[in-house]
Parts: sequence; C-alpha cells; structure tokens
Amino acid sequence: MTHSRRSFLAAASGLLGTALLGTSGCGRGGYLTPEGTISLWYWNRSISDTLLGKVKDEIGIDLVPQKIGGDYKQKLLTSLAGKAYVPDIAGLNEDIATYFPDADQFIDLYELGAKELEPLYLDWKWQRGVTPEGKMIGFPMDTGPTALYYRPDIFEQAGLPTEPDEVAAALDTWEAYLEAGSALVEALPGVKMIPNIGMVYGQAVAQQATRYLDEEDNFIGDGPQIRRPWELAVEAHQRKIAANALDWTPDWGAGMTRGTIASFVGAVWMAQVLEEAAADTSGKWRVCRAPGGAGNSGGSFLGITKYCRDPEKAYKVITWIQSPENQLVYGLNEMQLYPAAAAALEDPRAQKKEEFFGGQIINEVFATSAKQVKPVYLSPYDNVVGAAFSDELANVWSLGKDPDRAWEDALREVDRQLSHLGLI
Amino acid sequence: MTMTPVAAPPAARPGAAVHAAAGRKRKEYLSLYLAISPFYILFAIFGVFPILFSIYLSFHNWDGIGEMRFVGFAQYTFMLSDPIFWKSILNTFEIWIISTIPMLAIALVLAFMLNQQIRGKSAYRIAYFVPNVTSIVAVAIIFGSIFSNQFGLINWLLQTVGLGTVEWLTTPWGIKVAIAAMVIWRWMGYNALIYLAGLQAIPTELYEAARVDGASWVQVFFRITIPMLRPIILFTVITSTIGGMQLFTEPQVLLGNSGGPGNEGQTMVLYLYQQAFSLNQFGYGAAIGWALFVIMIVFSFINWRLVMGSETRGLRRGVRA
Repeated sequence: MTHSRRSFLAAASGLLGTALLGTSGCGRGGYLTPEGTISLWYWNRSISDTLLGKVKDEIGIDLVPQKIGGDYKQKLLTSLAGKAYVPDIAGLNEDIATYFPDADQFIDLYELGAKELEPLYLDWKWQRGVTPEGKMIGFPMDTGPTALYYRPDIFEQAGLPTEPDEVAAALDTWEAYLEAGSALVEALPGVKMIPNIGMVYGQAVAQQATRYLDEEDNFIGDGPQIRRPWELAVEAHQRKIAANALDWTPDWGAGMTRGTIASFVGAVWMAQVLEEAAADTSGKWRVCRAPGGAGNSGGSFLGITKYCRDPEKAYKVITWIQSPENQLVYGLNEMQLYPAAAAALEDPRAQKKEEFFGGQIINEVFATSAKQVKPVYLSPYDNVVGAAFSDELANVWSLGKDPDRAWEDALREVDRQLSHLGLI
Repeated sequence: MTMTPVAAPPAARPGAAVHAAAGRKRKEYLSLYLAISPFYILFAIFGVFPILFSIYLSFHNWDGIGEMRFVGFAQYTFMLSDPIFWKSILNTFEIWIISTIPMLAIALVLAFMLNQQIRGKSAYRIAYFVPNVTSIVAVAIIFGSIFSNQFGLINWLLQTVGLGTVEWLTTPWGIKVAIAAMVIWRWMGYNALIYLAGLQAIPTELYEAARVDGASWVQVFFRITIPMLRPIILFTVITSTIGGMQLFTEPQVLLGNSGGPGNEGQTMVLYLYQQAFSLNQFGYGAAIGWALFVIMIVFSFINWRLVMGSETRGLRRGVRA
C-alpha cells in the first residue's frame, strides 16, 4: 500500500518534472522534429498536400509538414515567444510586415542565395518579403491580383457595356465606375452596383504605390493615396449604389446569388469564394481589368526561423515547393493559388477556360493585373492604422456620420494609436 | 546508537523529543503535501504565474516575440483615454441588461408552466435544455442568417406582416438585440430548469391553502412562487451577471474581432482579445484584463450586498411572522 502510493507519487512528480522541462524548453529537447528532418507549418489550403507528399522522392529531404488549424498566427507567435518547438519553415500570411520588427527570428534568405532566384518572381511580391533593412524573411508563395467581377446580363439591362474589353475601357477609372453605378441603380431599382463601400476603399488603397507609413515609420496616411480612396468610398455611399452587404456574410452570398449585386472588385481568389457562395449563377459572371488599375489583396510567404538546424536544406525545400513549375501545377491548377512566378502566369497550362465565367480565360485578366501591381511598402502597423480608417468609414454608411468629421476622427485615432505604439 | 529519541526519558532530553516529533510530523505532512501537490503545482504554473505575469505585462509594450519595453502606467493611461474601451464596457452592460432581464422573466414563466401537470413534461425539459449544449459557434452562424439584413428570416417575417425591415447586423441596437437574442436562446432553458428545481421545493400546502382561500393564478404566482424562489432568483442573477460580463464568443463569431460596424458589438472581453491576439498588443491586452478584474470586483461586491440585504430582510420577515 505504502509502496504503491510512493511509486505513484514518484511517477507523478516524474511526469510533472518532464512536463516542466518540456515547457521551459531550455536547451535540449526543444525541437519539433528529430535531427535530420525539416518541419513545416502551414495552414489549410495554403500548399498542395500532393506536392508536400512528393518532397521526399523528388529532392530527398525528410519534410514533416504540419497543418496548423485554428488561429495559425497565434500558435506561431507562441512557439517563437517560448523559443521552443518552433517550426523550421513557417508560412507567413499577407501581414508578413508585422514580423519585420522581429526579423531576427528569421534567417535572411538572401544569405542562402535567394538573390539569384529574384528575377523569376514578380518584383512587387518579392519586395514585400524584404524588410526595410534589406533582410529577406519571406519567400513568395501565392498572390492576389485584383480585377472587376461583373454580371454582363445585369449590365446589359442597365444599358452598360457587357464585353470584358468594352467594360474595362468604359469603366477604366473609379469615377467612371461609380457613375455607371448610379446609372445602373436608376435603371434597375432593387439592384446595387457594389456590395459595400468598404470594398471601394480597400481595393482603391490596394492599387496605390504608398500606404499608411513610410519605411522610417512616419505616418503618411493623410496623403492622397488614402484620402482619394476615402473620398471615392464616401461618393459611393452618397450615390447609394452599395447594398451594404459585408464580405463573408450571408447577405453578400445572397446578393450575389439573387443578382441584386451587379459587380465588385476583388482578388483572384474571390473567384472561388463566389463560386461557392453563388453556385447557381454559374456562367453569368465575367472578369475584366479593375477600375483604377491593378492592385493586390492577399497572398502569403514561407520563412525559415532562426531555430532551424539546417537552413540550407530548408531553403532547398522552399525553393522547390515554390518553384515556377510547382506554383503552376500544384499551386494554380490544383489549389487555385495564384502564382508569384512570372513564368507560371504566361504558361499555356494556366490559360484555362472557366465555365463559371462563361468560358472566359480569366487568367489573362489576372496575369495582366499581377504584372502591373505597383511595389508598395507595407508597414508592421498597417493593421492598427488601417482599422482607424475602415472603422470610421463604417460609421459613415451604417450610422450616417458626417464624412468630414469621420475623417478627422480617423486621423485623431491614428494619432492616439501611433503614440501608443511609441512611434510619435 | 540503537536508542531512538522517542525512547529517551522526556525529562532528560525534552528538546530532542520535541524536535523528533516535529520531524516526524513534518515527514507525515510532507507526504500529504506531496499528495495534493499535483493540483497546486499545475495551479501555480497555469493559474498563479499567468496572473502575476499579466500584471508585469501590463506595464510593458510587447508584440509577443521581441523585446519587452517598460512603459510604466502608459497602457493604463491610454486605456482611460481610449473611447473604444469605454464603449466596450457600455456595450457589455447594454447587452447584459437587454438579455438578462427578459431571459430570467421568460425562464420563470416557463418553469412555472413546466411545473404544471402537463403531458410530455420530460420532453419539454429536454427541449429547453438543448440550446445550452449546442455548439455556440454553430448557433452564431445560424443567428447570423436569421438576423441577416436583406435575406434574413426575421426581416422576411417583418416584411410578410407588412412592417419595414431592420438592418440588424449594421445598426447599433440591431447588433445588440441580435447578440442578446443569442444569449437568451442559449440560457433561457438552463435558468428555467434551475427555477423548476426551486419550484418543486416549495411545499404544496401553501398552494393548497391559497386555492382554498380563493387566490387566482396571478396572485399565487406573485404572492407565493416569487417570494419562495427569492434565493434561487438571486443565484440566477449572479450567474447571469458573471456570464454577461464575460460575453465573447457570440459577438466574435457573429461580427468578428472588431465587433461589427462602429464597434457596436464590441464587448470587454472581445476587446481584450482583439488587442492582444489580433493586434498583438499584449501589454495593452493585459491592462484591459486588469480593468475587467476591477469591474468584476465592483459587481461581485454589489451582488454580495444584494444577497446580504435580502437575507436580513428575510430574517426580519421571519421574525414578524
């Protein structure tokens, strides 16, 4: 009896001790996978599983891919903060700039020879993975070039052009697009031109060459590159051409399905969102160059953390997975992940007729857009600053707040946030 | 050598005996302490340490990975001047009021009806409890469709009966009503079952006597049921308060981390989550956490006074009777 209790206690304290050592992660035993293997963290639908299964046979490296569910970024931050069980390779999302202040957590891919691959990839995309100090922490994965999605049948009823080339020519600026929106709303009561005015703001901002902060973290968001999109969004509100259906809500999907929303500007991956939300409208949609020009929304990167025991091997994995050929075959054609490699965009295998878009080869539109996106510096604090503007814009359309007052309040809020961050 | 301290004459070596006894006691206690240690060690690691660390954190600026920068009380002063922080407190209380009061009132009536002699009683009881064990995320998605602005079930009903539609998920009160409706739907049955248990503890003689005296149902309800249920009602008020202050999942799934247009659905806990885990401002998140702690203390105190007050009142009534 005594003996069994003792051994139980010993076992219990032993277990606890192991747990303590494990969580403290000092020194030994702090690795995710055994020596000689490379671990990779990615989220659902960011890399083709077929492709990951081929790594061993094709390049002879023992890759251990771990698909991380739930809040991916939180889990990555937790492992980095704990300095233990950090993956060798980590997927980094569109907000890669939020890792820039902690760039020392990642290995500079330029030091592993990334410079020689640079000409193969879209320049603006490549630059987003490089810190202002010139350290490359993220290798390009997919991109999100934008275009105008529209319903030619509704456009026709409203007396607007219907063929992609004509629409692109007639609605080449945001002003022309909003004007056409007024014509459409007037001709067809109950139908709106756009889902919400946040789309106008967000997509117009995504076309600019500068954003909220410059590379020295100075606030520049009161400049025309933000002010103009803001004014366009306010104009869209005043013209009453928006359905006030927020993205990712049932209203958005219902509006698309019922044909009460005639168009929207969105990234290439919205094609799949649209197909899933409004399957009944197959064949009725077309895509053309967006008003205001090319922009990008979304897209991710792969980085190598400083905890990687064999960076050269990890680099080999990354460059193979994201090679132009694999971005085309397993990225675009299997997963609908839009390539960052220029050659993949031009490849004949990428030119597929899409049934949902009435047999249109939509890649032609997105490839042109992808090549014309302007390089832009995205700062680590864009999500904080950007929220000040988009929140105030929401007040304009949902609460009827005076747009000028909303703009002033947005700038005041930015001031508060920047001083909180210690930037001013 | 062979002589143990216990065998020594007490008068000769009293100190040693005491010492030995203490040693033996300590040894005895040690095994007891060891036996309960798994809980306390885990509690220290996952309970005490995070609490203390969050105090430390609230005086720093930290993005989760890099260096922590000491900023003194800056997070707290920023918080006090942060309009969204105050708004989130106001939102939490507004949602709490418009959810708790109707919920408890309906639950009480439901319990009263469930306590009658009706057929299929257990089926009703189960039916009322089912919402409580339904996945809250699934519930939020369904309610998102029900309250959807243009194609939602409620707006369709409003239109069918000839009323105008309401933009539920984009107007300040619409958002709060939608969240409150979810809370009510989820917790009404739970509270009704608690009331039911309380009702069944009320002696039937009281009802019989009332009936003999010719009291109506309404009189019975307000003169017998409610006074007898008083402690149970207080219990549900307290648990609903705690739940209401911690409201998080419903607005998060329904409206996202910023609480929808104009932050109208932003609750205190959701704001903490957004700052810490979406914007990676962990220092500020910790400061908000401590502000919540203070608010909860104040509320617990009020609750405690309420309970104490009712007990003394109850006593006085007892004396009078």
